[in-house]
Amino acid sequence: MQAITWPQFLIIFGCCAVTMLACRVLPLFLLKGRQLPRRLEEALGYIPPAAFAALVANDLFTPGMFDAGLWPAAAPLLAAGGVVAVARLTKSLLWSALAGIAFFALLMLV
Amino acid sequence: MDLAADIKEAFKAAVPIMLGYVAIGIPCGILSASIGLGWVQVLLLCALFYSGAGQFMIPNMWLALSSPASIIASVSFVNTRQMLYSAAFAPWCRGASKRLSFLFAATVTDESFGVNTQRFEAGGWSVRRAAFVNLFSQSSWTLSCIAGVLLGDALGIPLAIASFAMTSIFICLLVTQKICAANAVGAAGAAAGVILCKCLGMAGPAIFVGAVVGVACAIAFTAVREKVG
Repeated sequence: MQAITWPQFLIIFGCCAVTMLACRVLPLFLLKGRQLPRRLEEALGYIPPAAFAALVANDLFTPGMFDAGLWPAAAPLLAAGGVVAVARLTKSLLWSALAGIAFFALLMLV
Repeated sequence: MDLAADIKEAFKAAVPIMLGYVAIGIPCGILSASIGLGWVQVLLLCALFYSGAGQFMIPNMWLALSSPASIIASVSFVNTRQMLYSAAFAPWCRGASKRLSFLFAATVTDESFGVNTQRFEAGGWSVRRAAFVNLFSQSSWTLSCIAGVLLGDALGIPLAIASFAMTSIFICLLVTQKICAANAVGAAGAAAGVILCKCLGMAGPAIFVGAVVGVACAIAFTAVREKVG
């Protein structure tokens, strides 16, 4: 591997930063201050549960995850189950994150 | 409007994100240094690009000898999910100034989207507070990434464990959503969409496509229920 040069860096950085800014800012400014149709407003309300479920599924599931045996794939799933319990009890992001790290580290030791 | 109170409340809300960013920012800095990025370049990335997934992907793909064009395409594709967050925040930003809305929108991440959504829905939250949550999170991310570049492997944080902190935050955000049939259908549809995408070899857009599938499922479900009921 060759170390990345400044010109190479600037091209990658510039393009990624511009597309990122467009994705972050344009939808908000296009929709802000308008009376939205009921269906669209409803759709926007479904984004949080759908997005969090997508993020969780993306972290926990990979094709071929059971190829190396049941345990390496089951450990994060079990830890996730523990986090669900802690999250429902405490409703705290901090406790959930700490519990997740503890469960996951313990299961990796087993 | 009490600025000190806004900063204090925002800081309280941002603490879990900030700690999580320390845990994954340091490994991200170490990885960035491994392809020859210096702290100035990492500072630029954190300040103007600011994407955990993206900042991990760039060094990873560079190490895998990908071309700059394919790195740009893949990273941009993964970040398309930001459009959903931006759209979801539009109704909350109705009364806010253009400048503040821009600052807020430009600094949203998966985690701060979750925390600010929770607060907006609970009431008593403002765009200014939400923007402070974003800026606190970004500061923590930036300092941690730079610490990773400068201190390098001296800080041995195992990435798999550190990144599970973020997974746990997403799980908490998911299970604290309002429990109703439409949300459940949306979440199940999104998870199924992500898994299907990844099985088809489309890992890049999986989160975005999955989330769109989930929203579509939830809307279809409520439409059918309205017709039947």
